[in-house]
Amino acid sequence: MLTVSKLSKVLPDGKPLLKEVSFEVGEGEMVGILGLSGVGKTVLLRCLNRLTEPDGGDVFLKYNGTVLDVAGWRDRELREIRRHFAMVFQSFNLVGRLTALENVLVGRLGCMSTLKGIVGRFSEEDKDAALSYLERLGVGHIAHRRAETLSGGEQQRVAFARARFQGCHVLLADEPVANLDPRTADEVMMQLAEITEAGGICTLAVMHQPDLVRKYCQRVLGIKDGVVVYDGKADLSDEDLDYIYDRKAADASKVA
Amino acid sequence: MKTSITSTIEKLPTLPKWLRLRYFAWLLGIGAFVGACIYLRFSPQALVEGIPNMVKFVRQLFPPDVSVLPSLLKPAMDTVLMAAVATVIAATLSLPLAVLAAGNTGMPRVLRMGSRFGVEVVRVVPDVVLALVFITAVGLGPFPGTLAMAIHSIGMLGKLYREAMEEIDPGPPEAVAAVGATRLQVVRFAVLPAVLPSLVGDTLYRFDINVRSSIIIGFVGAGGIGYRLIVAMRLFKYRELLMILMVVFAIIWLTEKGSDRLRKMIIAEPLLR
Ligand SMILES: Nc1ncnc2c1ncn2[C@@H]1O[C@H](COP(=O)(O)OP(=O)(O)O)[C@@H](O)[C@H]1O
Ligand SMILES: [Mg+2]
Repeated sequence: MLTVSKLSKVLPDGKPLLKEVSFEVGEGEMVGILGLSGVGKTVLLRCLNRLTEPDGGDVFLKYNGTVLDVAGWRDRELREIRRHFAMVFQSFNLVGRLTALENVLVGRLGCMSTLKGIVGRFSEEDKDAALSYLERLGVGHIAHRRAETLSGGEQQRVAFARARFQGCHVLLADEPVANLDPRTADEVMMQLAEITEAGGICTLAVMHQPDLVRKYCQRVLGIKDGVVVYDGKADLSDEDLDYIYDRKAADASKVA
Repeated sequence: MKTSITSTIEKLPTLPKWLRLRYFAWLLGIGAFVGACIYLRFSPQALVEGIPNMVKFVRQLFPPDVSVLPSLLKPAMDTVLMAAVATVIAATLSLPLAVLAAGNTGMPRVLRMGSRFGVEVVRVVPDVVLALVFITAVGLGPFPGTLAMAIHSIGMLGKLYREAMEEIDPGPPEAVAAVGATRLQVVRFAVLPAVLPSLVGDTLYRFDINVRSSIIIGFVGAGGIGYRLIVAMRLFKYRELLMILMVVFAIIWLTEKGSDRLRKMIIAEPLLR
């Protein structure tokens, strides 16, 4: 279980972006994050694996009876923690000149010694396993193509395969379907739900599509003005959405 | 303490305020240029008057003395080999230096500043000057020339490699760091793949330059065909000189074609795993 408590982040200009954000995500649960652009959704995800340093609060990860405190560590311990958090970036961030398979293999670097990792000797078992993850997501045939030659949907699946291969307990997906057509978006969300369920993973997905959220997420966090304004079931009402997105205010100002 | 791989955004230098007065700056620049030309005694007249001498010289070059060709093969090969060995040495040493010096590989500040400084220092000394210094130390021959080119090339390649690394998209390195990879693993799997084409291009371009350099370096007795060229010139053996020049052009042309092919082949090759 992922427990986030009173997480805060202040922007370099002194403006508070996240104000004591608290929530929990259970194992095998997919939680959608909704909120206006610029509200700090990406920063929130980045604070969880500490690509961005939060200014306060705690993040705990409980799995298999151990509790991992994310705050405060650095270097070796930080890398150890990051192994458990897989991040699927909004722009995928695959290494363009590596093949799809190699991009998946990169997911295991956290478990390898520096030297072994640098030589780049992945075992045959690792290669087979990486390939099987690609195949399960329906993209086994592109395993040996360079990532830069893949379509958005294919890149998204390679990024998922990398996350799975990493053996993560938490999956942070930043707008996983933002660049995809409606059909591919639906497929990708279904696969994300499968990964979450099958792996008993705590998944957080930043979303802008309430329909997909209702269909695939178990819970929703609505973020507004740096605080969680909605934490509940995924079948949001239109009023809930209007509130999260401040839509009444926008309509009102349009009239005025 | 920052452990994530983040790019540091350096402040770009801006023009001083008085230079922003654009027209004034243009006038000043043109004036300075004309002044410099006068100071350097540019004289179109002397050039025109020199044409008959030039024609006479060119006439004496012909026909080329083909009989010396066999004796030129070894010096020609020396020249190319010197450039190749110097480039390999420089590339091998420049790569780790550039990784240390780049602002986006997360290396400790001391190492970053140290390697940057080292590369800056060796770049300042021209290779011919270095060759002269090494000749006084180890005597005439291809070794001091090669060493000189290698060291000067580190100054150039180290900087080019570093700039290539600093220009890459920060996304993929960040993604690799996010799986828990070490800094060197991030370099190996995200930084190097991204810069490989420019590294190969920079290196082969440096080889082309070193081929020319090694000819010049031969002038001072540091091996290769350059020495034969300067001797033929001094002894007024103009027909031999033309033969040497033809070999020089052939070397430059062939190595350039060769390095171009090599670059295309390397870039098309998938990365090792
Ligand atoms: N490194 C940074 N430095 C300064 N401001 C930042 C940085 N990263 C994000 N921000 C600011 O934080 C706010 C939230 O950004 P983000 O989390 O990307 O929003 P979103 O909810 O759309 O994902 C934005 O106003 C953005 O400009
Ligand atoms: Mg965002």
